[in-house]
Amino acid sequence: MQHEPVVRLEGVTKKVGSRTLVENVTLDIPPGQVFGFLGPNGAGKTTTIRMMVGLTSISQGDINICGYSIKEHFEKAVANVGAIVENPEMYKFLTGYQNLRHFARMMKGIDAKRIEEVVRLVGLGNRIHDKVRTYSLGMRQRLGVAQAILHRPRLLILDEPTNGLDPQGIRELRDYLRHLCRDEGTTVFVSSHLLSEMELMCDSVAIIQNGRLIDVRSLRNGNESKAEAAETGFTVDEPERALAVLEGGSREGNVITLKLARDEIPEINARLVQAGIKVYGIQTVTRSLEDQFLEMTGGDPIG
Amino acid sequence: MGNFLGLVRNENMKIYRRVRTWVMLGILAFCNAILPVLFSMVDSGGQTTLWDSVMLTASFTFYLCTIFSVIVAADSVAGEFSWGTIKLLLIRPWSRSKILLSKYIAVILFSLLCTLLLAAVAMLASSIFFAGGGESSLIGPGESGSAFTFRYLLCDYVNLFMTVAIAFMLSTVFRAGGLSIGLALFIMFAKGIFASLFNPDRYGWAKYLLFSHMDLSGYLKADEGPGGATLGFSLAVLAVYYIVFMAVSWYVFHKRDVAA
Ligand SMILES: Nc1ncnc2c1ncn2[C@@H]1O[C@H](COP(=O)(O)OP(=O)(O)OP(=O)(O)O)[C@@H](O)[C@H]1O
Ligand SMILES: [Mg+2]
Repeated sequence: MQHEPVVRLEGVTKKVGSRTLVENVTLDIPPGQVFGFLGPNGAGKTTTIRMMVGLTSISQGDINICGYSIKEHFEKAVANVGAIVENPEMYKFLTGYQNLRHFARMMKGIDAKRIEEVVRLVGLGNRIHDKVRTYSLGMRQRLGVAQAILHRPRLLILDEPTNGLDPQGIRELRDYLRHLCRDEGTTVFVSSHLLSEMELMCDSVAIIQNGRLIDVRSLRNGNESKAEAAETGFTVDEPERALAVLEGGSREGNVITLKLARDEIPEINARLVQAGIKVYGIQTVTRSLEDQFLEMTGGDPIG
Repeated sequence: MGNFLGLVRNENMKIYRRVRTWVMLGILAFCNAILPVLFSMVDSGGQTTLWDSVMLTASFTFYLCTIFSVIVAADSVAGEFSWGTIKLLLIRPWSRSKILLSKYIAVILFSLLCTLLLAAVAMLASSIFFAGGGESSLIGPGESGSAFTFRYLLCDYVNLFMTVAIAFMLSTVFRAGGLSIGLALFIMFAKGIFASLFNPDRYGWAKYLLFSHMDLSGYLKADEGPGGATLGFSLAVLAVYYIVFMAVSWYVFHKRDVAA
């Protein structure tokens, strides 16, 4: 990368008592990317994010945001950050708009126009003038995003932002994050265990497990592994007979699954059809990040 | 960075946009309006003066005033933790000290508002039923009624001020509103018992206890307080305790990790 990283974690360790929650994490987050932070429950994602925004102290190491240490120059460092840490809790007895006014007053140069712009962006519409008490989870999530982007931060940190959003909301969020990234040069750091989401959203991911960073990889390497064998599912009317015809594969309901290379798919289809079996659908299950992730973390129990 | 007054405005907004606050203010105004009426009904010989009525009223309603201020103080920090909004509040370009200060200022402003409301309503209601002049049983001869009443209310406010400081500290330390309210109110009601249990006249060290000095109204009549203390000594003891309470609040708020 030719640019300075926006965030630099240097040997970050968090200890609580004798437990080590995050251990020696070193990570550079380049600017202008949507950067995923992936890990199973209890891996230390939220803990790391809490340290990045100064909510918890750092036991060892340091975190630099836009060149300022969060330890030494908290106010300057955090001025570049907008964040949602875990659930977006708001003042329930205030309206959404009053909540935004509240956070706007805490930062420089946010006028009423900007607030309206943000409300439009997250699609809260007229409900913004209702009390937050009356909001659904997804609406609160949207309001959470709104308060995070209010001051046009250079770094946006979202801890499981799709939690509670409907498919439309997830899609809008994804598009919006892409837009922020591309047009405003915002760096977005999202944590999630919704792995398939990450694949659609992120340019790179860092994978954390048991407090340790185990991998950082780019997801935009073009269309890799075209020839690689992939799980392919055939939906048929007579699964038992299909199994016999194909002499292999596994059955789940009306779906027969086989590991096939791309070229083999039409052949298998032809064989099924010739045997008089009706094929209603063919689906390739690409080896997703999810599988890779499960492979890597070995499906370890939490903790 | 930014405007510190904005922080105080935020805290004010969080106090006055809640229905609860207006209920409290309403109750306070109502009680201060109704007590002089009751006094006027039991006052047989017309001996009660305007200032007597105000002080009598305040001697009841100041408890309410303290309780309401304690509730607001205890919720100020603990509320942010129980709502989870503390996470959004502390990730702004403001040091934790300034955020805590803005909260404390808003709490003190609320306690002042309550006190002013109390004084204003009590005086207004009393002036309808009682005359200003005449011999007063509460006020020494030759003393101005208004000046005495003012000093009386000031003593009450010092009491409230210390109780609120305790509630505010407990709120930052325990992050639990209910516990802080309970403990602070317990101290408010039990301090008389403590003060008589550990009487400075009997135990020399008891004159350094907070309880012995929270109620300064004794100095309105006499120059000597509990254990032969002077007003200056009492104020010094209060000041030391106050600084300790504030230092503890600040330290804990500054240092502690904010975890779910
Ligand atoms: N204050 C604390 N004291 C002790 N242990 C803690 C504390 N906070 C978190 N932990 C532990 O640290 C580990 C990491 O927690 P963290 O919340 O960072 O996980 P996460 O990756 O965000 O998980 P999830 O996907 O479930 O949100 C967990 O095992 C948790 O039990
Ligand atoms: Mg988490």
